[in-house]
Amino acid sequence: MPTNAPTPSALVRDLQAALGERHVLWAPEDLLVYEYDASIDRARPDVAVFPGDAEETAAVVRIANLHDVPVVPRGSGTGFAGGAIAVRGGVLIVTTRMNRILQVDAENRLAVVEPGVINLALQQAVAPHGLLYAPDPSSQRICSLGGNIANNSGGPHTLAHGSTVNHVLGVEVVLPDGRITWLGGRQLDAPGVDLRGLFVGSEGTLGIATKICLRLMRQQEAVQTMLAIFDSVEAASAAVSAVIRRGVVPVALEMLDQEIIRIVEPQIHAGYPLDAGAVLLIEVEGLRESVAIEAEAAIDACREQGAREVRTAESAPERERLWEGRKAGIGAVGAASPAFYLLDGVVPRTKLPQTMQAVQEASARYGLRCANIFHAGDGNLHPTVMFDPDDPDAVRRVLELGGEIMRLCVQAGGSLTGEHGIGLEKRSYMEWIFSPEDLDAMGRVRAAFGGEERFNPCKVLPSGHGCGTGHATEIRHHLATPGVYV
Amino acid sequence: MTSPSLDALRHAVPSDIEREPHDYAIDGVLPRVAFRPGDRREVADLLHAADQHGLVVVPQGARTSLELGRPLGQYDVALSLLGLDRIVEYVPEDLTITVEAGLTLRHLQEELAARGQYLPVDPPPHDRVTVGGLLATARAGAWRGYLPAARDLVLGATAALPDGTLPKSGGRVVKNVSGYDLHRLHAGALGALGVIVEASFKLAPLPPATRLLALRARDERSAARLARDLWDSHLAARSVALLAPAAASHSGLHREPYVLLELAGVEAAVERSVEEARALAGRAGAQVEATEGEPWRRLRALAGESGATVLRMGVPATSLPELVGAAARAGCLAWGYPAAGSVIAHAEAGLDPAAVRALREQAQRHGGFLQVEAASTELRRQVDPFEHGDAEALRALKQQFDPRGTLNRGRWMEGV
Ligand SMILES: Cc1cc2nc3c(=O)[nH]c(=O)nc-3n(C[C@H](O)[C@H](O)[C@H](O)COP(=O)(O)OP(=O)(O)OC[C@H]3O[C@@H](n4cnc5c(N)ncnc54)[C@H](O)[C@@H]3O)c2cc1C
Ligand SMILES: Cc1cc2nc3c(=O)[nH]c(=O)nc-3n(C[C@H](O)[C@H](O)[C@H](O)COP(=O)(O)OP(=O)(O)OC[C@H]3O[C@@H](n4cnc5c(N)ncnc54)[C@H](O)[C@@H]3O)c2cc1C
Repeated sequence: MPTNAPTPSALVRDLQAALGERHVLWAPEDLLVYEYDASIDRARPDVAVFPGDAEETAAVVRIANLHDVPVVPRGSGTGFAGGAIAVRGGVLIVTTRMNRILQVDAENRLAVVEPGVINLALQQAVAPHGLLYAPDPSSQRICSLGGNIANNSGGPHTLAHGSTVNHVLGVEVVLPDGRITWLGGRQLDAPGVDLRGLFVGSEGTLGIATKICLRLMRQQEAVQTMLAIFDSVEAASAAVSAVIRRGVVPVALEMLDQEIIRIVEPQIHAGYPLDAGAVLLIEVEGLRESVAIEAEAAIDACREQGAREVRTAESAPERERLWEGRKAGIGAVGAASPAFYLLDGVVPRTKLPQTMQAVQEASARYGLRCANIFHAGDGNLHPTVMFDPDDPDAVRRVLELGGEIMRLCVQAGGSLTGEHGIGLEKRSYMEWIFSPEDLDAMGRVRAAFGGEERFNPCKVLPSGHGCGTGHATEIRHHLATPGVYV
Repeated sequence: MTSPSLDALRHAVPSDIEREPHDYAIDGVLPRVAFRPGDRREVADLLHAADQHGLVVVPQGARTSLELGRPLGQYDVALSLLGLDRIVEYVPEDLTITVEAGLTLRHLQEELAARGQYLPVDPPPHDRVTVGGLLATARAGAWRGYLPAARDLVLGATAALPDGTLPKSGGRVVKNVSGYDLHRLHAGALGALGVIVEASFKLAPLPPATRLLALRARDERSAARLARDLWDSHLAARSVALLAPAAASHSGLHREPYVLLELAGVEAAVERSVEEARALAGRAGAQVEATEGEPWRRLRALAGESGATVLRMGVPATSLPELVGAAARAGCLAWGYPAAGSVIAHAEAGLDPAAVRALREQAQRHGGFLQVEAASTELRRQVDPFEHGDAEALRALKQQFDPRGTLNRGRWMEGV
């Protein structure tokens, strides 16, 4: 062994003693992949650990506290807001080893899982029982249920069934002081203050989920999936409101614009017409009779807004093919462009036409290609800006455009994020929608759970020292003029 | 009350005259003063003034659920929210609405119905309840499981705190993960962490058709089986209820085990559901009886009767028949909603603490819980109305949001 080999620090030695050497990574080259998630930001943790259960997780948290270093939870690292980035170093707690489905209670329609279980793995485990877990993020093949809980993730079917929080019955949590507790339980509407509802969506800043009790739903009797083809994004946007106006709330109502169709179709062959200005993917679900009536109402609404054609999937494979294009969309952008920046904003659905037009104008102004593939029924936009990372000016322009699009959403009466979270990425923008009083109250939640400085620091709230992560953060700070948009 | 503190309260609520304390008794205790502020600023100022003078404030809406929780140790100021009853913004095309907390649910539903929409929460026992009270108690009833509850529909809220601030969280759009969801924290908090002054909700289109069926079963076992089969079938159902004989008789039905089925949806789907439910009932040997909804109304009234003892148990669907039976044997009118996993037990003449504890233990053995929804002050002193999840976390939150215990002190536990 060469004498100049690095020696583990006291922190690392303590962690090794608690978890075993195999489950502690500390050599810089081993930590490289843990510098990133799916956002633009990056930072290296001092050490990454892989606890096997709640007790080991609690032991890690206590050791980190003793050494006075930050703790950052991480699932699969597919988050877009930098939530799993160890901005101030410290211990990254990776949940991948906690990946057991502990129970599927089909009769009572619930499942108990560990946080590292992949969303799709749960779907596959419950499907044979005629059940499903409703939240279906497009990343479901890779993202963890712990990450879904932390981000209150959504998916195409959130429109009808609600986000993750509506499907979580209870969570076992390791708190910032290392204590293990249960929030919620195995039933709906457990008595008491809803700490479960507060924890879901707290982006790993209030504790680490180590077990999760989830509500399952029964598969519906009938489903119909349609593809409505429009000449323009504006017409497709107007059709979204037209569908809702008819008293129909589809289970999914997704939009893809021309830019994304031209990227996705050659790769996936989902059957989207290359010359369409935009398409809407509409799914209705329920009893046969209501599906027939609602589908007809949706088709009428699309035609009324100038849909060129509305196709209906005639078989399960056809339906899956239509969905494949949607679910693989972001991946296809990755294959088509050396880099992309995916935004997440929300507007009232009635403001979709004007907002989409403004997004397109802004992208043109910055000379950037922007593809749109998003949850139109919820008014949840995902402008995806493609750029060349080797172009020195590109990152700046991309971030500036991102800031501008966020402002458009806020000005339309919307929100900074519908499902990806605030994380590191949008901390600086929080003041656009929340007053100092609002933020102070949120800070109290964090204080009540303890570990404000140490538990996933620099996330969600705009305060915090030593949180800079270089270029991207600086630009965002510069873009954020506080108070102007509240 | 000393006049300096009273002056401070009066000063905080310039738009209102003082109200008659006699109209604001809780558990037989009168407040020293009562106010009905006209806007949110006055609510916050009143809280702040009370906080400064060490007074305990109890926010209240329609006052239908003030017996939920432990009896209060101290009660100085009644704060009525009925003066805050405006619709702030209603955008039917977005299926969203923002309202003040004192608006009654009846008024809200009437406004929405005019546009073919509704807030899809179960009609509560009393339709004069306020939106703030609905959120603060976070109760749900017959539709739960098929439909969401208020806590799932709230998009954002503004609450007044004892330090005089009015922080908001969430927003008015249907999907939003910006910041901590304080509005979820207030849902079910019984006003212990802030006074809700405004809230935004997600709405739904009104179903075009509804139908009610009462199914009289041969015995308890086949009633339980039938309820389960209905829940497992593809029906346009909005509620399935399993009734023990005494509860059925009290609802105007025969004194036999019953299953009540409520259907809602497009006409054709409801019609087929009626046929399928009839077929299932036939196979179970149950009689289908025509009904105009009276049993549902009576059950709801029972669930909300404040003179009696009312318990709610949350249990897995598979244990539900057992707990309905146990509650009935304990002398209660008992029924359950399999989709919600909840059992309601109503005892006109009250229950002794040992019986409540025994039911709680039984619910807990099945991984569930028991909450005392209403009972005499005595019973609520002897039996904890709730079972606390994490008492330490709750204390820490109370310390942050209401350090002096100005809001509903003692509702949850000593000092909280
Ligand atoms: C191609 C692609 C498509 C996507 N599509 C969607 C979509 O449709 N809808 C959507 O909502 N999101 C989507 N996302 C974003 C992302 O997948 C989700 O946010 C997901 O929930 C993150 O899960 P993760 O396991 O990767 O979490 P990570 O990225 O590892 O972490 C995310 C956050 O969760 C915290 N965290 C992780 N595990 C825990 C735990 N056990 N306890 C407490 N905190 C924890 C982290 O600290 C961090 O703040 C997509 C991402 C990609 C790359
Ligand atoms: C025994 C019983 C059972 C019930 N069961 C059901 C049921 O199954 N389903 C259902 O939907 N309804 C049920 N209800 C009614 C339900 O509780 C009411 O919908 C509602 O909670 C009470 O509204 P209110 O305006 O009367 O509130 P009040 O009775 O005035 O107040 C109730 C509680 O909320 C607090 N509060 C009131 N307003 C606010 C506010 N603005 N901010 C903060 N805190 C506030 C009060 O301090 C008090 O602790 C039941 C009622 C009773 C008495």
